[in-house]
Amino acid sequence: MSASLGRAGRLALAGLLAFAVLALGAALGLYAQDYAGAVGPELLSPRPGAWLGTDALGRDLLARAIQGARVSLAVGGGAALGIVAIGGVLGALAGLRGGWTDRLLAGFTDAVAAIPPLVILLGAALLLAPGLGTAILAIALTQWSGVFRGVRAEALRLRGSDVDRAAVAMGAGVWHRLRWHLLRRLRPVLATALVLSFVHAVKVEALLAYFGASAQTLPSWGRLLAESGSELARGIWWPTAAASLPLALLVLCAQVLADRLGEGEPGG
Amino acid sequence: MRALLRRLLVAAATLVLVSALVFVVVDALADRAALDLGRGASPEAIAARRALLGLDRPYLIRLLEHVGSAMSFQTGESGHEPVMARLGRALGPTLAYALPGFVLASLAALAGGFTAARRRGWLDRGLLGLATVLMSTSSVIVVVLGQHLLAHRLRLFPVLGWPLGGDPRGALGFVLLPALLWALIQLGPDLRHYRALFIRELAAPHVLGLRARGLPEPRIARHLLRGALGPVLARVSARLPQLVLGSVVVEHLFNIPGVGALLLAALRDADLALVQGVAICLAAATIGGQALCDLLIVAVDPRRRAATDEPRRHCAPEGR
Repeated sequence: MSASLGRAGRLALAGLLAFAVLALGAALGLYAQDYAGAVGPELLSPRPGAWLGTDALGRDLLARAIQGARVSLAVGGGAALGIVAIGGVLGALAGLRGGWTDRLLAGFTDAVAAIPPLVILLGAALLLAPGLGTAILAIALTQWSGVFRGVRAEALRLRGSDVDRAAVAMGAGVWHRLRWHLLRRLRPVLATALVLSFVHAVKVEALLAYFGASAQTLPSWGRLLAESGSELARGIWWPTAAASLPLALLVLCAQVLADRLGEGEPGG
Repeated sequence: MRALLRRLLVAAATLVLVSALVFVVVDALADRAALDLGRGASPEAIAARRALLGLDRPYLIRLLEHVGSAMSFQTGESGHEPVMARLGRALGPTLAYALPGFVLASLAALAGGFTAARRRGWLDRGLLGLATVLMSTSSVIVVVLGQHLLAHRLRLFPVLGWPLGGDPRGALGFVLLPALLWALIQLGPDLRHYRALFIRELAAPHVLGLRARGLPEPRIARHLLRGALGPVLARVSARLPQLVLGSVVVEHLFNIPGVGALLLAALRDADLALVQGVAICLAAATIGGQALCDLLIVAVDPRRRAATDEPRRHCAPEGR
């Protein structure tokens, strides 16, 4: 697997792993624990001791940026798994069953995809209690239509194949065909879809957090960006940099990895 | 003609399904009576309010009523004014910056993708890298940094604002920067999409045939563009909802009284009628636009007339 990723792909994978280690350490309480209280004077520029400076309340921006990685990775990972699970199972069922199951599921997906995603996402987050779980659930439940279409197309191709007709002739049920035949074919497609969904979910989370609709207690990069807006106009750049650089870097790593994973597929 | 009717029927059925879904979701997420009365209301007062609003009637009846009113675009009142009137007023400012931005991004992406696919080499690598970086930058970052650099630092544009009934010359200045940033947000994914599309088209056997006959490059390019018209239209139709909703971030930071800002305000005030109205109108615009584009594709691309399957769509969700 890693041999075919190329140098850029391996670098991107290493970057993602570094983010994961950083977030895991912060979650276990090894470092960056004093993110909530003031550690020094307000708006200190970057210097030894406060490597990314402090924000308007005197909080350490490095600690807050590291804690933000926890939120982004949790929402990105959780929502990507949810998206691929929902879209994959429904798409496989629609493609393998065909007929009315297919027509109904495809119609349902079109309807879900037609609802503007931001209405549901912001709505769920602001009307329900905003938080990590709500963000993951809202993204997973609304953004699966793309994976559905991809998996359904692949399942439809399998349905026409000789292998599948032989399996059906031997009495194979939908679940056997899904597990034994379809899953093997789909593995590269699903891997790409997983990483792309991660990219999408991280970006959506940043947007939600910008409007205060994501994690409430932990600092998140989107919220740091929203907090830093007024200071940027006064020439105080480090709060904005502390939020935007890690966000851009994480998404770039995942995007490059997705590109490398998808390169082997036709039309990927 | 039959295809036309069929497509319209499917679009209408989808819209019915959408309005039912919106009702179910909103009803499950929020209780309108409790929201009206605020946090400290007693259960009796909430029950009385529910009865007043007719929320204690059977679920199915309320669902059907809601779908019926959504289908006739009578989506209730918000702030003593029909929802549709408020939406209509917000649509102008959104289109004022979203439409130029959309056209700009599409033209730039088409030109860039076409050039990258034909030239390959360093130009291709550069454009692809640019598109990947643009795509990886969250729209929040693009807008925040763009406003800071171009308006605060370089003073090329006014920082923010919207002329409410002012002279059109001033309005142009306020529209330019939001349109530019909105185009920048869309450019990354579009550029990559069109590049991949033209690379596929260039690999088609008929292009090799044209080359073998010694046709000059400009004429081959004309054949290429003609063949790519269908997929380009499909991409444009997938972009339509963002044209109508605009960017919530852009409208928030630039103080534009558009649809995105209206939606945000409605959610903040828990104005359910307005939220539902926005959701259903945007969905209607999306579905209608897609139906129109599907019919257009059939009209411009004879290869699609025989085939009845859906136009090809994408495998994974995309950023915005």
